[in-house]
Amino acid sequence: MISSRLKVALAITLFLVFSSGFAWAQMASKTDADSAAIKQCVAAWEDAWNRHDAHATAAAYVEDGEFSSTTGVPSHGAKELEAHYNEIFTTFLKDAHRSDTVRSIRFLTPEIASVDIDWQMTGARTRDGKDAPNRKGLLTWVVTKQRNGQWMITIYHESAF
Amino acid sequence: MNSIPLKAALAIWLFLTFSAASSRSQMASNHDADTAAIKQFVANFADTWNSHDAHGVAMHYVEDGDFSSVKGEASHGRKELEDHYTMIFTTFLKNAHTTDTVRSIRFLAPDLASVDIDWLVNEPSAPGGVLRKGLLTWMLSKRNGQWMIVIYHEQSF
Repeated sequence: MISSRLKVALAITLFLVFSSGFAWAQMASKTDADSAAIKQCVAAWEDAWNRHDAHATAAAYVEDGEFSSTTGVPSHGAKELEAHYNEIFTTFLKDAHRSDTVRSIRFLTPEIASVDIDWQMTGARTRDGKDAPNRKGLLTWVVTKQRNGQWMITIYHESAF
Repeated sequence: MNSIPLKAALAIWLFLTFSAASSRSQMASNHDADTAAIKQFVANFADTWNSHDAHGVAMHYVEDGDFSSVKGEASHGRKELEDHYTMIFTTFLKNAHTTDTVRSIRFLAPDLASVDIDWLVNEPSAPGGVLRKGLLTWMLSKRNGQWMIVIYHEQSF
């Protein structure tokens, strides 16, 4: 009796130790793959933005994603996000082109990461249609990994300087 | 002989089921407590900042915390953070006063929250007495029951 209980306890212990060790070992190699996938998410978003495709740009966010502009004006959820992009792509940013370079990625959990992205923009106009100076700044995103392995934007902040 | 592994399996299954259900029901009430704790933490950060205590401000970050300025300049880890705060509190912000008001909190996990904070820095020699106005965006993590800054971003507009 004792020995069979011990065997069960040993089996459980081994299982827990093995699975946590396995999880740790997997984490390092997954981080490289996830970093690549996050960079891909940024590149795809940048491409959608430069095509001025409001729907595709908004589709890079999770359903209840959050956006905050350089002046702290928020948009929340897929519908508001698409309306926001539609508005900027048909008005003062209709001839704008951006370039985004990932500066750093910090994983907060295996499925949640904070990403800093240097951005620059040409071709922007003022609200009354005049040429505006080139813009640059920092995007700070929280991205989350979806069940299909794809990373999406949960929170988007941008600063201009 | 067979009954012991069965009982053990049942016990493990019950434990896992119970702990999952319990953690779900706790989550809602914990959010209220955590929201209050985060607001308290932000208020405490502002008080420490306003007493120009560089070490005290740096201690609001986790050991390997990240800071990024309105110009995107980075400081990493408590030593760099304390140096950064010592520099600003002895130079251009030595007479500055900050007012931080929590705008929104989004929990990404029970121990991980993104916090937006409306931010105003007053400085007597600045035009209208306002040196900075903008938004702070913090990523907070709960460590040993205490919320701390993992990542600090700020934007001025």
